[in-house]
Formats: sequence, C-alpha cells, structure tokens
Amino acid sequence: MTLAAVSGRSPASLTADAGRASARTRISAAGLIKRFAARGGELTAVDNVSFEVREGEFIALLGPSGCGKSTILNIVAGLLPRSGGRVLIDDDTVEAGKVNRKVGYVFQRDTVFPWRTVEANIGYGLEIAGVPKADRAVRVARAISAAGLTGFGDSFPRTLSGGMRQRVALMRTLIMEPEILLMDEPFGALDTHTKLDMHKTLLEIWERERQTVLFVTHDLGEALTLASRIILLSARPGRLKEDFDVSFPRPRDPVALRETAAFGELYSHIWHSLGEEFRRTKADRP
Amino acid sequence: MSARRSVILFWQLLILVMLLTVWQWGFEWSKAVLPRAYVPTILDPYFIAKPSTIWDSFLRLGCLKHIGGFVGCLHSDDNNLWFATLVTLKNTWWGFLFGSASGVAAGLVLGRSILLARIVGPYIVALNSIPRIAIVPLIILMFGLGDLSKIATAWIVVFFVVFFNTFEGTRAVDRDQIAAARMLGASEWAMLRTVVVPSALAWVFASLMPAVSFALIGVIVGEFIGAERGLGKLIIEAEARANASEMMVVILVMMVLGILLAFVVRRLQSHLLRWQPQFEMHT
Repeated sequence: MTLAAVSGRSPASLTADAGRASARTRISAAGLIKRFAARGGELTAVDNVSFEVREGEFIALLGPSGCGKSTILNIVAGLLPRSGGRVLIDDDTVEAGKVNRKVGYVFQRDTVFPWRTVEANIGYGLEIAGVPKADRAVRVARAISAAGLTGFGDSFPRTLSGGMRQRVALMRTLIMEPEILLMDEPFGALDTHTKLDMHKTLLEIWERERQTVLFVTHDLGEALTLASRIILLSARPGRLKEDFDVSFPRPRDPVALRETAAFGELYSHIWHSLGEEFRRTKADRP
Repeated sequence: MSARRSVILFWQLLILVMLLTVWQWGFEWSKAVLPRAYVPTILDPYFIAKPSTIWDSFLRLGCLKHIGGFVGCLHSDDNNLWFATLVTLKNTWWGFLFGSASGVAAGLVLGRSILLARIVGPYIVALNSIPRIAIVPLIILMFGLGDLSKIATAWIVVFFVVFFNTFEGTRAVDRDQIAAARMLGASEWAMLRTVVVPSALAWVFASLMPAVSFALIGVIVGEFIGAERGLGKLIIEAEARANASEMMVVILVMMVLGILLAFVVRRLQSHLLRWQPQFEMHT
C-alpha cells in the first residue's frame, strides 16, 4: 500500500494507527448477552459478545440490520440493562441508568432539542453542569465554528437541514469533552453527500483529539473511512464474526480515500464476509 | 390590504349590518307584513331586546350618560357594570392561574411516575366524571357568597382540563431526548425542567385556550347560583326584572372579556412556543 498516494501528503506527516495496540483498555465487554421478551418467548439479540477497545482506537461495530449492534452500544452507554456478561469502562462496571461522565453519546435519531436555539443546544451540557455564561459562550462559539455552523447560532433547529441538525447533536456531545465517544449510526439518515461532509468534520476533530470511539454502522464504506478497526457482527443473534485492522494512513480524506486501491481491496474482502450475513438476515425473514 | 382581504372584510361588515338591521326592525316589519300566526316570536324585543335599547341600557348600566356619573361609578363598589366586570375578570384570572398551575404540577408528577398514576388514576377519573356544575352549590356552601367560591369553581373546572393534557404531554416526551439529556449529565430534576416541561408545553397550551374560557364559565355559574357581585349577578338581577336589554349588555361584555382572555393566552403561547413552525410569524 502506498501511503502517500492515499492522502497526497508526504509520508513523514502521516500517523498510522498501528502501534497503539499497547495502549490501555478503555472499554471491555465479556460474554455480553441480551435477550428481549418477544411474542411467546424470548429473543436473543446479542449472544456472547466479547471485545476490547483500547485508548485512542476508533472502532466501527459493523453488521446487518437487527444484528444487535445498537443494543451493544446502548448497554455500553448504560442506557439498557444487559441479560448476561460484563461491561467495564476503565475499571468500573457499567450499570444501566448510571451515567458515566467520561462517555459521550450521539444518537441515530434526531435528538436535538427543538425548543432551544443552536447555541443553547450545543451549550446544554455546560449549562446543566453550571459552567458560567461567559465561559460557556466562548466554548460554544468555538464549537459552532468547528462544526461549520457559523451564523446559525440563534436559529431554531427546525430551520436547519438534517445534516446541520446532526452537526449540532455532534457538537453538543463533543463540547463536554468526552474521553469515550459512543455513536449509534449518527449519519444513517443523511444523504451520501452530506454524509461525506460529516465524515470530513468528524475525521478532522478525531484526528486532532483522538477520543476512544465506538461507532455503530451498517455502512461498510463509512466504517472503512473512519475506523482504525472494524468489528464485524453476524446476523441475529449478534455474535462476533471477525475483526479487521483498518490501517489507512491519517489524516484521511473521505473522498480521496475511496478512490485508492487499498480501500477497494479491503472493501471487497470485508464485503464478502458481510454479504454472507446480509443473506442470512434475508433468509431469516418470514 | 390585498383584494382578497377587502372582499372578506366587505362581506363580514355586510353580514353585521344585516344582522343588526333585522334585530332592530325585523319584528315590526314582519308584524306589519305577515299574518299574526306567522310573526317570528324569536325576534320579539321582549326576549332579545333591540340594538337601540341595548345601547341605551349600556349607557345607563355603564354610567355613561354624563361624565360625573362615570367617574362616580368607577369609584363606587355597588355592583355597577364596571365594578362587576372587574370582579368577574379578577376571579376568572385567579381561578385560571391556580387551576392551570396545579393542573400542570399534578400532570407532570403523575406523568413521570407510572406507579403513582396507576394508584390515583381511578380517583381522578371518578372525580372528573362528576358534572362540575353539580358541585357549585356545595362550593358556595363551603366558601360563602364571596369571591373565594367563584375562584374555587373556576379552579376545579380548569384543573382537570389542564391536568389531563399535561399528563398526556408528559407521557409523549421523546425517550431519546430524555436519554440524550441524561447522557449530557442532566439529573432527574434538571431533565424535568429542561426537557419534559418545554416538550409538554405544546400540550399544556392546547388546553389553556379552552381552559381560560372554562374559567370564565365557572365564575359566571358561581355568580348565578350565589353571589353578591359580578357579571353573573347582574344577569340574574336583570332576569328578575325581565329586562332583556340589560342581559344583552352583560352578555356582550362577557364576550369581550372572553376574547380578551383568549388573546392574552394566545400571545403567551406564541412567545413560549416560538420554536414551533406554526408560531413562526410571531417571532
């Protein structure tokens, strides 16, 4: 793989994700099980899933719809109780209903507060935490410009496009400076072009700040563009299927990256494996 | 003004003029033209008065015959038109305020606590099934003929309307928005204040528009059944004298009051809900 060809920059400025393997473990899931009550019985959504996320890794949790990947994320976030197994963030066991201040979460659905302006949305967490107004204004202004929302600070969300609203949701979470970022298909509802824009923004921020990220998606292209490692889940019940290192050099350009041979190779390699799961999902349907 | 608007205004004025004309002269005209059996008694001024006599009664009740009388009326506390209006307005406003405040509070608490809602649910349904007017005599027995019984009547009418809407609104809050607030560090109380309340506000206001009219109805019913002052009392007095024009004056004043109260609530609503598209024009 020719690194320089990917990004068009000199190899000296590149920081690959390799070598981070020695970093400490931030998230560790062991034997995770989740069952839901279903008509006339129980449905196993997640079956004995174990994985670890190390400091500064960007993990994409990839799998077909209904494979339980969002369920796993919600358990890690403490939004959902688990039926079995263990989840640790650093050395603390995750309990449902208990919020961990180190963790930030970006939802798939639009959860921007429609009654708050863009500024008030982004500053929400700081306001709750009692950060003084002047201090808050400075940080919000910085976040607004980082998200490319300059000039929309006092607009209400209904006047914004879906992509802009998701930028607000992203900055609302990032302004709290979470060390661990959980993202549930945050760009799933956006069109291709807007999605690429969002990838660019997210990559810029992540390549600078290197939070530990667990990113749920069913979009292989998205996973390859963003992640340093892809965890592939099987169709329901969700089990760990394979683990891929994505060692494209950084900084990455989401558009240029897709044109490289390395991207294409890894894409078709993983696609083969993912395709089997898509077919199984389809066969499952009555 | 666009052509369309002037057309609408033209027709509205025409209808008004026609109604007033028929009201004023319709009975006499039909009596002159039609055989006795076909004269519409509904137009009989004995029952519905006439615009001219209503105007006359308005000037008399409102002490508007001469300036000195008007000033005297404003300063007296016998149940003249202005004094009665003020009393009814005041009682309506307090009843509305207490009723909606307690309705919102109860709706929020029960909306957030499924257990509590299950426990007291049947009692609320039972209480709500009592026709409100039936307990007005009881309220007057308890609180006397003064303002307190009128405020209590308005309160009890407003409370349930606002309570049910707030309860539904609290239940309808987006669970992901609640989760988002939690993940951003909001405590239960902060989340209630910053997510549940603003989100349920649209539901609350949907009930406040009818509630303010109900409050006025509650106060007037209270005044009908037992009162020393107020617009309802004026109507009862006019009825005792079979004076339709005086009743009409009071009814028209009540109409203006109703419009005024609805307008105030509407303005408040469009300010607090300015994030919603239908209120965009007011920002």
